[in-house]
Amino acid sequence: MRRANSMTRRLLAVGAAGAMTVGLAACSGGGGGADEDTVVWSTWGTPEELTRFEEFNEEFMQRHPDITVELQPVASYGDYHSKLLAQLTSGTAPDVFYIGDDKIGQFVDAGVLLPLTDLMESDASLTDPDDFFPGLFGAAETDGEIYAAPNDSNPDVLWYDMQALEAAGITEDPATLAENGEWTTEKYLEMNDALAEAGLVGSMFWNYWATHYSWISAQGGTAYDESGTFVGNDDTATVDAVETLGDYFQDGTFVVADTMPEGAGADSVFVTHEAGFFAQGRYTIGTVSSAGEQDSYDIVRWPTPDGQAAPTGVATSYLAINGKTDAPDAAFTFWTEFLSAEGQVFRLSGGGNAVPSIAGADEVVLEDGYPAHAQTFLDMRDIGFEDYAPEARIPGLSTDISDLFLKLYEGKSDAQSTLDEVAALVAEKTAE
Amino acid sequence: MVITSGGATGTPVAPPAPSAERGAPLGAPPRRAAPLGPRREAAWRRRDRRWGYVFVGPQLIGMAVFVLLPFVASLVLAFASWDGLTELEWVGFANFTAQLQDELLLRSIVNTLLIALITVPVGLGLAVVVAVALEKLRTRTLYLILFFAPVVTSTVAVAMIWQQLFRADGVLSGAIANVVGIDPPDWLGDPRLALIAVCIVSIWSSLGLNVIIFLAGLQNISPSVIEAARIDGAGAWRLFRSIRLPLLSPIVFFSSIVAFISSLQTFDTVFVLTANAGPDNATRTIVYHIYDLGFGRFEFGPSSAASVILLLLTLVITAIQFGAQKKFVHYEDADA
Repeated sequence: MRRANSMTRRLLAVGAAGAMTVGLAACSGGGGGADEDTVVWSTWGTPEELTRFEEFNEEFMQRHPDITVELQPVASYGDYHSKLLAQLTSGTAPDVFYIGDDKIGQFVDAGVLLPLTDLMESDASLTDPDDFFPGLFGAAETDGEIYAAPNDSNPDVLWYDMQALEAAGITEDPATLAENGEWTTEKYLEMNDALAEAGLVGSMFWNYWATHYSWISAQGGTAYDESGTFVGNDDTATVDAVETLGDYFQDGTFVVADTMPEGAGADSVFVTHEAGFFAQGRYTIGTVSSAGEQDSYDIVRWPTPDGQAAPTGVATSYLAINGKTDAPDAAFTFWTEFLSAEGQVFRLSGGGNAVPSIAGADEVVLEDGYPAHAQTFLDMRDIGFEDYAPEARIPGLSTDISDLFLKLYEGKSDAQSTLDEVAALVAEKTAE
Repeated sequence: MVITSGGATGTPVAPPAPSAERGAPLGAPPRRAAPLGPRREAAWRRRDRRWGYVFVGPQLIGMAVFVLLPFVASLVLAFASWDGLTELEWVGFANFTAQLQDELLLRSIVNTLLIALITVPVGLGLAVVVAVALEKLRTRTLYLILFFAPVVTSTVAVAMIWQQLFRADGVLSGAIANVVGIDPPDWLGDPRLALIAVCIVSIWSSLGLNVIIFLAGLQNISPSVIEAARIDGAGAWRLFRSIRLPLLSPIVFFSSIVAFISSLQTFDTVFVLTANAGPDNATRTIVYHIYDLGFGRFEFGPSSAASVILLLLTLVITAIQFGAQKKFVHYEDADA
């Protein structure tokens, strides 16, 4: 075999070293903008959402020709925060980024986000703090300082299927009862009993914080006190509410959507008129519309003992600015326009899947006239609440609490024991 | 100049120096022999050695950066509390204490051991049977391609295909419902079945590799041994049980170690097939537990402690396997 001559070997070595350098550089990922006029921002999202965001970028750059905007999308919510964490640790994080409501507290506590209160109150702002609905800030606001603002929101309403209710012999319309102040817990449970007797699923819920805390709040209970201590286990109204919730899950009238089998999941059960109620957000419009069954559905708020509206859970995500951005002015310009009423109208119009988090953009929810009681989304957002700050500050705590509730729903625990375990877990985690 | 090899160590040894006394005048003090030591290496060999380092260098750096450094970092972080954002705080053995009392880790260890204890013996046993069945088959190349296809297919793709098969309205559930006349089982939604589903997929996807290894082992058995046994009147079953299986046992042992370690690292199948850790953490494995703590909850200290526990567990199990081999593994040369 002929040996490579000296020059060839030198070239090969240089090439190998170069390839390795390029490889290592690629592994280090991107980062914030290269200069003070470039804004790099990141989010997760569906292909449709990401397309809309790119359109927003184009419009923004037309308005601000001196600013370049680049989107770094991450397809999966599950991978998003670990990537963001790695970027923040290595100093290569984007200038502006989304944060989920289950992670926001930790990023705020770590001091890696730019304080925004003064900027939001400045002349350059299109997003005064008072423009946002106060219950939506959650753990993004601490000690009077705002570190992120909600992109939009999704109140968990009770979607109901009129065909299923009719099949169960139910003649009253939940939304009409709510309008008349007669949408009581008793009425709601009667309807669920009738649905179960007709062989249908009464109600479907996702097992997460908004479900158990919405139910507790609607039934007059108190999960956390103002100091952030979990007190639900010592509150009679909460224990009674959770007991009722557990009973209905255990006898199969209520169903945990997360545990439904593949191929017979909650969405397909709902659009085939096999369930009466389904607690979900505005994105359900897409589910029922794609099935061509939208005329059979409407929405109603959560029932209460006296029939009056009560605060319930509102899911959201946040937009924050990197505390170490090299382009603070350009980043804030982008941030405030993205979250402004005009920005939210642009992002959410045309059958959008969320509800604005800021005043002045409500027409996107009402413009299509669907569902018939779409105003309920706005009413529930106005008085709703985000996940409690103690849970949002500790990654995984909300999931662990949901696992404890799942044991109750599966009949492996009772209401008092479940709430005692939740109280102990919260005390343990918040003490660490 | 002639340089002879120094044997196993490769140290060059110079030939004996000329006698110090030869030709020396009588009465003159003996000339001191030239010290024996390493002679200068040939220039071309030194040059080759340098280029060798240059070519191996990128691989070594890659290994240092992506294997050695994370390994050392993991060992260090196991004794610290760190969320990736705030200051690192040393906590001694607190992470290990907390992890060993963590129900989720214990559940993960039980699930992982169950997967290993089901998939390794069943998978290897099945592979031996298939290898024996294919050994004399003329069309065995075709079968080998079919059996080996899952091995070279992405685990994610395999898991997604099986996810469709396992659906309540899927092919597998439908077939069981038709044949047995029962309601279709909810493979991935029922905590009692989800782990079985993971085992089925693991066995299926690793079968081809073991079949090829065992087939090579069977073909390597000396025909004279088989012939001698036949002359002694051994039938097919006796031949298999007393001759071929014992002679195959070193390969079975090697495969069992590799398969067991691989089972202890089960992650991607569980992650994709059963949507993270399955219903009620029914398929939560140790590696998923490490991932969840580290990248789901940003608890890098406990996550690293769990990974060290996995390392120790792997070492203990491998040591047990090596201990057991003395009784079950037959080495042809040792008995010769």
